[in-house]
Amino acid sequence: MNFFKNNLAVKDFIFSIKNYYSWSYLSYFDLKLKYRRTFLGPWWVVLGIAISATAMCFLWSTIFSLDWKSYLTYLFSGFIIWMWISQQIIDAPEVFSDAAQYIKAYPNNPLFYVFRHCFSSFLIFLHHIPLIILISIFVNHKIDLIVLFSLPLGLLIVFINSILFSSNIGMLAARYRDIGPLIKSLMPPMLLLTPVLWKPEMLGAYSSYVYINPFTYFVGILRNDLIGLDFDIYIWIGALVITIFQLLFFLILYSKKNKRIVFWV
Amino acid sequence: MKSEIIAKDVYLNFPIYDAQSLSIRNKIRDIGSKVVSRSKEDISGARVIEGLKNINLNLNHGDKLAILGPNGSGKTTLLKLIAGIYFPTSGEVSSRGELSCMLDIGFGFELDATGYENIILSNIIRGHTKNEIDKLLPDIAEFSGLGEFLDMPLRTYSSGMQARLAFSSAIASTPGILLIDEFFSTGDIEFSEKSKTKVLEMMDSSSILVFASHDMDLLQNICNKAILMKNGEIILSGAPKEVINFYKDTYHLR
Repeated sequence: MNFFKNNLAVKDFIFSIKNYYSWSYLSYFDLKLKYRRTFLGPWWVVLGIAISATAMCFLWSTIFSLDWKSYLTYLFSGFIIWMWISQQIIDAPEVFSDAAQYIKAYPNNPLFYVFRHCFSSFLIFLHHIPLIILISIFVNHKIDLIVLFSLPLGLLIVFINSILFSSNIGMLAARYRDIGPLIKSLMPPMLLLTPVLWKPEMLGAYSSYVYINPFTYFVGILRNDLIGLDFDIYIWIGALVITIFQLLFFLILYSKKNKRIVFWV
Repeated sequence: MKSEIIAKDVYLNFPIYDAQSLSIRNKIRDIGSKVVSRSKEDISGARVIEGLKNINLNLNHGDKLAILGPNGSGKTTLLKLIAGIYFPTSGEVSSRGELSCMLDIGFGFELDATGYENIILSNIIRGHTKNEIDKLLPDIAEFSGLGEFLDMPLRTYSSGMQARLAFSSAIASTPGILLIDEFFSTGDIEFSEKSKTKVLEMMDSSSILVFASHDMDLLQNICNKAILMKNGEIILSGAPKEVINFYKDTYHLR
């Protein structure tokens, strides 16, 4: 128990959560500022996604010879969730470097800036969820009530993972500058390798291979209940196991090296 | 609560991560000038610069410390060490009491946000709540003297106006331990006089002051202790008058 009490990573994490007011205000403000001089504001992103996902829907439903109506919700939800997750991965290497001017000027725990960044992306994702629900209603999809429970839980798990991943990779990438470009070049092929555009069963005999891919779990826990797919307990277990590994890695790396961040950024 | 700052046998090494090609350049520079090289290699073979060497400090409630020294002697590094921005490579630093830093005061500003918003942003990062800031806002606004410009984006400000805003937002906190790096020679004559008065007020009410500056008269008036730094080391500490005289003699300032 003492390990946890005195661990710097635990301390900073709890401190950041208690200090939620500051980073959530800054996250909200970051968004406000980003869309300040636009007329549609954050709805531009929604519109952008709607346009590209609609185009992709007609293309892929023809290629896969699927009913476009049922494919529409699958593609929209997958695409929107993927946008959030992949953006988090791509931004992670720069999460500390972007906050360099603050880290070097004011004593604050560096996790604060990770929370600020991740919460901003989370807020963007939140205003995309109505789009998924609208599409579901449009194609007469029935939504199971379990979503009221599983969606908040899924959001929480993915949010925590985004914090842990950003902190872990942010630290490594601040020290070793090759990690950022490497991750950026891996993400486009990951979109094709993750069941976002296609369904696992389309792989036939190979369908169990999708479980090698960690993104399958995070897309799964957010999407499956939202669009009325069968509840799959393995996806939730997988997501939890990954969370635990990330957490362990975070506890070790952050508590050992957090004082070096200021020299790396 | 009594404030105090204690530093014991502190060494601080800055790792340099892009320095492989620098080593040859450094050697040439060292031959060319008589500067003592402060860079060396650490255990893992990475190059480091010795930012601070063998620092011992003991400051009690009511102490006002002046830090003197030429550029690059480690004044700001020492301030950032006390602030908790840098951590010692070896040795210990501890402080008791509320810290307020006026080191790099212009951080947290966004060019597209208005003056008012920037005051709020930078103070939220300093740990104030929105309610606290709302209460302080009229005073800050008045002090800055920026008037209706506070409703306009920072983009439209001149550098002098930005400096005014930065200074005004930084003074919202009430100091316990106050760390100041010389900066308030910014702005026009009127504002720099005003800010000087304000800083003197803050220094007066602080429980401990650590002040790096080149303004000898000011240091001598305010401080009761002084240290002289060179190449990251404290080479002399004592009464301000004595240290200032030594500094002036060494660097032929009179």
